[in-house]
Amino acid sequence: MLQKQVLENFQKIVGPENVDDSEVMTNAYSYNWCMEFVNSSEGKEPIPFSSIPKAVILPSTVEEVQQIVRLCNQYKIQFKAQSTGLGPWNQPSSENCVILDLRRMNKIVKIDHRSLYAVVEPYVSGAQLQAETMKFGLTVHMPGAGPQVSPLASATSMNGPGFTSPHTGHSARNVLGVEWVLPDGEILKLGSVGMKNDSDWYIGDGPGPSLRGIMRGWAGAKSGIGVFTKVAFKLFPYPCSTKFKLSGNSPDYEFEIPDYMKLYVMDCKSYSHLEKVFLAIEEEEISFICSHLSGYGLGAIFSNSIGSLMDKIPIAGMLVPLVVLIAARTKREFEYKQKVMSKILIDFNLENVIGSKYTPNSLFYAEALRSNLGLHGFIATGGFQSSKGQCDTVKVCVKTTKESIPLKKKYIKKGVIGNDFGEGVWITSYESGHYFHIESPTMFDQTDEKSVKGMAENMEENYQFDLLKHLGAPFFVEGDKMHDLFGPEMMNYHIWLRKIKKAFDPNGIADSGFYISAK
Amino acid sequence: MGRIKPSEELRDLVYKCTECGNCAIACKFLGNLEPLEIIMRLREKLVKAGFGPMPKQEEYIQSVKDFNNPYKEPHENRTDWLPKDIKIDSNAKVLYYIGCTSSYRRKEMAIAAARIMNEARIPFNILYDEEFCCGSPILRTGELDTFKQVLNRNLDVIESKEIETIVFSCAGCYDTFKVDYPLYRNYNFEVLHTVEFFDKLLENGKIKLTEKIPIKVTYHDPCHLGRNAERYEEWDGEEVHIMPLITMNIPPKPKRTGKRGIYDPPRNILKKIPGLKLVEMERIREYAYCCGAGGGVKSAFPEMALDTAKLRIEEAEDTGAEVIVSACPFCSTNLQDGINSRGSNLKYYDISELLLMAMGLEPEKLKHILSEVD
Ligand SMILES: Cc1cc2nc3c(=O)[nH]c(=O)nc-3n(C[C@H](O)[C@H](O)[C@H](O)COP(=O)(O)OP(=O)(O)OC[C@H]3O[C@@H](n4cnc5c(N)ncnc54)[C@H](O)[C@@H]3O)c2cc1C
Repeated sequence: MLQKQVLENFQKIVGPENVDDSEVMTNAYSYNWCMEFVNSSEGKEPIPFSSIPKAVILPSTVEEVQQIVRLCNQYKIQFKAQSTGLGPWNQPSSENCVILDLRRMNKIVKIDHRSLYAVVEPYVSGAQLQAETMKFGLTVHMPGAGPQVSPLASATSMNGPGFTSPHTGHSARNVLGVEWVLPDGEILKLGSVGMKNDSDWYIGDGPGPSLRGIMRGWAGAKSGIGVFTKVAFKLFPYPCSTKFKLSGNSPDYEFEIPDYMKLYVMDCKSYSHLEKVFLAIEEEEISFICSHLSGYGLGAIFSNSIGSLMDKIPIAGMLVPLVVLIAARTKREFEYKQKVMSKILIDFNLENVIGSKYTPNSLFYAEALRSNLGLHGFIATGGFQSSKGQCDTVKVCVKTTKESIPLKKKYIKKGVIGNDFGEGVWITSYESGHYFHIESPTMFDQTDEKSVKGMAENMEENYQFDLLKHLGAPFFVEGDKMHDLFGPEMMNYHIWLRKIKKAFDPNGIADSGFYISAK
Repeated sequence: MGRIKPSEELRDLVYKCTECGNCAIACKFLGNLEPLEIIMRLREKLVKAGFGPMPKQEEYIQSVKDFNNPYKEPHENRTDWLPKDIKIDSNAKVLYYIGCTSSYRRKEMAIAAARIMNEARIPFNILYDEEFCCGSPILRTGELDTFKQVLNRNLDVIESKEIETIVFSCAGCYDTFKVDYPLYRNYNFEVLHTVEFFDKLLENGKIKLTEKIPIKVTYHDPCHLGRNAERYEEWDGEEVHIMPLITMNIPPKPKRTGKRGIYDPPRNILKKIPGLKLVEMERIREYAYCCGAGGGVKSAFPEMALDTAKLRIEEAEDTGAEVIVSACPFCSTNLQDGINSRGSNLKYYDISELLLMAMGLEPEKLKHILSEVD
């Protein structure tokens, strides 16, 4: 709870109905996905709650955010911002923190369909923006978390791979102009939107040195370096006809598959073959989705319940599957892409099982267009989180997959994580094979203490394993402990990150529990 | 309860849900997750802990105990709505269950339903002073003990008569009898909403439509008649541990997806009215947006109920319709409040009122409606 005077001052900024410091509300904001095993790793009770925020504040404009941040500085209270609130690490890491829930900032500010970018506020979801951009034959990059999350949060603050990454890239690389409230309350505008004259959102660099890297680096600062209130990012051609006709009921929706879409699922049979096929396909720049999943993972993305997962045994038996979705806007383009795929199938002695041995539900295609496949990770055990998360060459990603199998099997054998035969990974290319991403989705049961503890141990052992084997930094290098573990092995980046934190947040007001402290 | 203790703060949040069930039909992806039932169980827990229902809801529950209706209306006035010329047949196998809201507040619905049945020569009976509140407003607050008493009394009365079919014009009573009663006690009669009943009568020619109503109408699906009017299917399977951490329902447990709600009968009726044009809103059928009145919200949080109704009216306006029609007395009240508060040009009618006009039984009202939308 806040002291009365402090509460009143926050209320003056946003109105009394937009500040809540009640026990019930603040507890709800301390809940988060995966906090059970984070707590367990830290030797705490394995509950899904973090520290409880002092209050939840709902600003509606950048000026209100600025005033709140200034007040936080005045009272030495930390703040933590969240957009659509699905990401882990959007909760406070200390008891001295208020949550800025940005749900009232929910406008699509601009869609420039000629220059291919959109400008949005934090609470615009990927699905909302996609629905609007589709009117111009365009789409937006959405992280694998799905269409319900904020493209702003992904672009400015957290990770960024998605299922359509071969076509739509990575959130970090799509950022253009940014409006940013720094931890001391100053408003900074990055890129062309910061120009004095004719300011607009079309570029993210300058004036002066580019700050895009400082803003989020690779993994994002998770609110540890201020609050982002508007962002512009690139749009991409919608890959096929924008007709989107869905019918039926959850979870068994039917989708009218648009013309000129074709799915390929091929068994590469060995990891070395997978590596070659990946590169061959991506070199041709034809895929909308190009992902390796394990046989089990394949079953999961085509299923919408545990019952239907069990029907997928025929495809789940594949050894090293590769999923490729091609889509086109004209017959000619479609024929060309199919021809290329046919040649690759012959060259690499592959068979496409789709249409012959297996036909997925039509819903798969809708979920592919909407980047909604990550959700399927929850079907089997009710919970999952990924270890790994590296971005590197396809070679490193495949090596990571192969070498990590025995480690995963060890935890499967203990019965604490779900059985995917140790092979359960997701590898995707970005930007037509420019580089690749690997993560290892790991199923556990959040309601089972043994499973939660096992998952925590599994994550910890994976970190050590990745370091030992030089497999790069995982997704979740969060907080001082992790940065201090990985930094020395990675050109001492953590020293620079601390300098950035110190320069931008001299008073330590932006909650850095999942970023880095200036210490 | 664990981390958070029951409190008035918690109560105020939990009771702000209209229990419209949209969450439950939108989210059938994960195992046994049933979001609406979580809210219902939470309310039951709050009642047991002495924090629920909301004070306003407690008042109407007390009124049901004292007066047999939530409006503190004298029980003896329950049949005041009944025009003298309506024929009631005490030997009829069809029972018309009027419900408290149509009896005391939305009498036009009861009158229209009764006249339509008379005109179609369907003998029907009513319970007169043996009709009591169905218990819906009590059940929705989580006050199970009182609900069960009400349910048992109602079923005792009805089963003492030789009733084969009960017809309801109130979507709330209908849902409660159809879906909720069987969870506690089975019965042996058929339950129908008037829209289902009248649709059949139109189909087999017992109702004839003679008048043109050349207006544009949009239909609002009441939650109680739509997605929530889907019975729970019996399932006596078990949750089987098929491998570590993975359980499965064997055989598969049927899910309430909302698709078996009553959506076509009201639309069939409207489409058969000569000259009438049905234009649909964006969110309809199992995905319909709630009017905002359900779950006791209208009494406990009237502002919130009104704000919600205004959103729905805005959606109805966007269709270009002149009239919004529904089939539930709660939706009727709340949507009309929404119309008034928004200063909307839309008119609200119950579907049975429109049917009555199309049957040529309300020439004055018909003239009025036509002049209104002119
Ligand atoms: C099933 C599932 C699959 C996932 N798969 C992926 C994946 O494939 N790729 C991927 O990148 N991520 C993935 N995630 C992680 C995460 O949900 C996403 O990264 C997502 O972009 C977070 O968006 P959000 O709006 O929900 O974030 P929030 O929960 O609102 O925030 C996420 C983080 O960013 C910070 N933040 C949010 N908004 C602001 C702001 N305006 N200013 C400053 N800081 C802010 C928060 O403090 C928090 O640390 C997945 C999550 C789930 C549940």
